[in-house]
Amino acid sequence: MDQHFLNGMHKGSQEFRPQPWYSADGDCIIYQISDEAFVAHRIDDMLTVYRSVGGDRIIGFQIKGVHAILRKSGWEGLTVSSKIGADGVKSVSVAAMLLAAYEEKPFTMGRRRGYASAMQSPDYYCDIPLTEFQPA
Amino acid sequence: MSDFYCKVINPRDPAAGEVNAIFPHELTLHYYKYLPVRYENLRAAKFVLENVAIIFSGVREYNGGGWCYCGRPPQWYVRPGKIEDFPQDMVFTVYMNPNYRIYECRAEASADDDPRRPVDWQNRYGGVVWTNIS
Repeated sequence: MDQHFLNGMHKGSQEFRPQPWYSADGDCIIYQISDEAFVAHRIDDMLTVYRSVGGDRIIGFQIKGVHAILRKSGWEGLTVSSKIGADGVKSVSVAAMLLAAYEEKPFTMGRRRGYASAMQSPDYYCDIPLTEFQPA
Repeated sequence: MSDFYCKVINPRDPAAGEVNAIFPHELTLHYYKYLPVRYENLRAAKFVLENVAIIFSGVREYNGGGWCYCGRPPQWYVRPGKIEDFPQDMVFTVYMNPNYRIYECRAEASADDDPRRPVDWQNRYGGVVWTNIS
């Protein structure tokens, strides 16, 4: 394959790291626990899960409309899963964010299955520092 | 810090020529450092932007809208260092916000009624703003 069009723009080591990342441009959180191609399956307006290609493993997800969730739930609504890190920075649990997104829409079996699949891996029980939730 | 610009069909007015889509520095840097396969598949995203089959409007219900560019790259990375032909039953989608800043790109299952569109396209988007009829 041809040289990458961003060749030389970024430097330093590359190492897959499964950590949630907030995109201010998309107002979404993306999270992958495996460095491989995936097929995105939209569950609803707020959740898309990533399934491995050629398999059925859930390897990540995208939570959309993050600030809408935060406005409705409020920071306090997520404090049950927030904590103060060693550096004194508050964090929000990704699992709590998934639950808040689930509560946004009417119940269906498809949504229940989709959200359950996103939450089934203990690898997803992680946090994002509040300081990263800056709108674009 | 520098963004990467890529000429694309103007989704607000396809007849008006091209605009610059933006690969934001923070996105490409995050992919480069921590999501190497995604970083490699930014090639597929750029290919789709420059060879788009269909553009949908009306993404991001809870934000200021945006567009979805759909197409089929010839190949993509499935694992580090492993390249394969892009599957026939999938479409590659690139999402951008109203400021033309890209925030997501990925493969999705194709719709049964049109393999160039993602599944359930009828219920997901605001409308089709451009279709390649060539």
